[in-house]
Amino acid sequence: MTTTDPTFSAEQLAEVRRLQALYPDARGALLPVLYMAQDTFGWISLETEEYVAGLFDLSPAHVHEVVTFYTLYFRERPGRHVVSVCHNLSCHLAGAGSIIAHLKQRLRVEVGETTEDGRVTLLSVECLCACEAAPMMQVDDRYEMNLTPVKIDRILEGLA
Amino acid sequence: MPRLTVNGQQVEVPAETNLIEAARKAGVEVPHYCYHPGLSIAGQCRLCMVDIEKAPRPTIACNTIATEGMVVLTETDRVRETRKSIMEFHLINHPLDCPVCDQAGECWLQIYYMKHGLYDPRMRDEKVHKPKAVPLGPHVMLDAERCILCSRCVRFCDEITATGELGIFERGDHSEIGLFPGRALENPYSGNVVDICPVGALTDRDFRFQVRVWYLDSAKSVCPGCARGCNIDVHVNRRRPHHAEGRRVARLKPRYNGSVNRWWLCDAGRYGFTFVDDKDRLLAPTRREGETVSDATWDEAIAALAAALRRSPPDEIGIIASPKMANEDLFAVRRLLDNRALRRVAFRVPPRVAGDQDNFLIRADKNPNSLGAELVGLGGDSRAVLEAARAHRLRCLMIFGHDLLASEWPAAEVREALGAVETVVFVGANANATSAAAHWVLPAAAWVERDGTYTNFEGRVQRFRQATEPIGQALAEWEIVGRLLAALGDESTATRAEHWFRQLVAAVPAFAGLSYQALGDGGRLLAGAVKA
Ligand code: SF4
Ligand code: SF4
Repeated sequence: MTTTDPTFSAEQLAEVRRLQALYPDARGALLPVLYMAQDTFGWISLETEEYVAGLFDLSPAHVHEVVTFYTLYFRERPGRHVVSVCHNLSCHLAGAGSIIAHLKQRLRVEVGETTEDGRVTLLSVECLCACEAAPMMQVDDRYEMNLTPVKIDRILEGLA
Repeated sequence: MPRLTVNGQQVEVPAETNLIEAARKAGVEVPHYCYHPGLSIAGQCRLCMVDIEKAPRPTIACNTIATEGMVVLTETDRVRETRKSIMEFHLINHPLDCPVCDQAGECWLQIYYMKHGLYDPRMRDEKVHKPKAVPLGPHVMLDAERCILCSRCVRFCDEITATGELGIFERGDHSEIGLFPGRALENPYSGNVVDICPVGALTDRDFRFQVRVWYLDSAKSVCPGCARGCNIDVHVNRRRPHHAEGRRVARLKPRYNGSVNRWWLCDAGRYGFTFVDDKDRLLAPTRREGETVSDATWDEAIAALAAALRRSPPDEIGIIASPKMANEDLFAVRRLLDNRALRRVAFRVPPRVAGDQDNFLIRADKNPNSLGAELVGLGGDSRAVLEAARAHRLRCLMIFGHDLLASEWPAAEVREALGAVETVVFVGANANATSAAAHWVLPAAAWVERDGTYTNFEGRVQRFRQATEPIGQALAEWEIVGRLLAALGDESTATRAEHWFRQLVAAVPAFAGLSYQALGDGGRLLAGAVKA
């Protein structure tokens, strides 16, 4: 194996087995194990899919089915930070369109792209369940609410 | 055994029977796409909705088990309306490219639209576009736009071959069938996904665009590719020969036989028929003198051969029959042995490369009738026949079909043997290096050009029927040997495959009690056969 091949540590493999034992069909653990893989390797490459398939004795095609079905698995390496702007109804009415336009202009990327320095990936997503604070976005694991262009600039400055 | 009523008709079905099969038993067809009796239940296409008395809404028949006293209705207004709507859903993004689709004429979207759809399309938006004409492997072409995501092909690869190549990727109206990037659909049974795909999403690369399916004729037959003897339909193109540059056999399709191959065929068998229309087919009897090869009439050939057999003492005549010959042919050879009191006979020639075998259908013995040849009594030592020839102890050697020069035997020894015999006769469908070395070459009909039976490795005797005319002047081997017998004064030779079979049954105890009629479409096990 070359060093670029995705491989879990011994502790992670123990965790995989623990998760698999939780379900009547071990396949039930596929989603959490894929999240583990994403956290560990940064994204889900085809090599990672094959590696995970091996852990479940599944064919890679079936892992690929799961990865392509859900939008929260990254099939390309994202930037160091992921900014997901809600563009669903409440946020849209509250100006998500101009929020996205502002982000595109500041980051000089289109939605779905990553800045050239690999710092930020910009996404637009469906409802994140914080309509009371529209317009809003998620930055990595945090919610940023009641957005304005000024607030956005400050948030972006804080992203290393 | 629950008893239920389907559209007012009582039926009794085995426990655990689903409603599609229960209705089938009552003579009622419940339309469906994703259900296949050889695969697990997916409940994906929603087309098989039926009404069940006391149930609040229509229910999918495939995933509902028949129970005692159940009252099933398949033609209520509500069911018909549901079917129509489901058809409309299935066709929302369908490209409707039937005029250029190979499946047209045998497509379940076409058939069910005419039977259960017939709505006015309401789709006004641009349809979702997906990849078209994507080769998935050596045999299968994918058109993702035509796919209705029934998942039959996926389940086939998961459950039957356990190779898992296919999946449904993305979601919603972007869902599409595909392979893991970089992989190919090349398992030894890949062609079956084309058969079970109910629409034109998976088509056969070999058959594609050859001829429209409504021009095909069909004959019930048996695959000669190995000792399994899978049941097939031979589809021949007689009516539009110019569409396929004269290729007559358009394709082989599996024919259900619950005791042999169920719904399936291997790819080697399915695509292994190219020899039938190959350029190397032998078209007329030929005689070789030195380097000169000339055509002869059948009468000349038979007379010459009869003379050669007459002038050689029985011990100086060798016959290498073939396990690719039908029981009828082999029995004719047996009669020839009896007529001339010949003893140097065999049928097995070891292949250069041992055949592959799996624990599904494929058998290592790539011959359809080794057991038949054995039972008819032709199972001698073929190596000994070759050695006798090499030692100049044979004056006449008849070889049926084999290319001895492509066998496991050292080619130099085979050449020596062939060179040491005064009259080498080759009887076969295709030319090969051995036929090139023969003095007389007699053209035999291919299995699709004649009737006959094979005995598979389990002892199941199965009929194959003529699908097309013999090429050129080719004749079935039983007829060639029969003419030879007549020339040698044997008056009782038969003039039809079935008559030869009758004589075989009368003479060989293993076949006792069989007849073409008794064999029917699914064949019969020999009385003494032990089912493997
Ligand atoms: S390709 Fe054919 S068999 Fe496979 S899911 Fe689509 S329609 Fe069904
Ligand atoms: S398993 Fe044997 S008999 Fe069946 S299709 Fe393949 S070659 Fe033909």
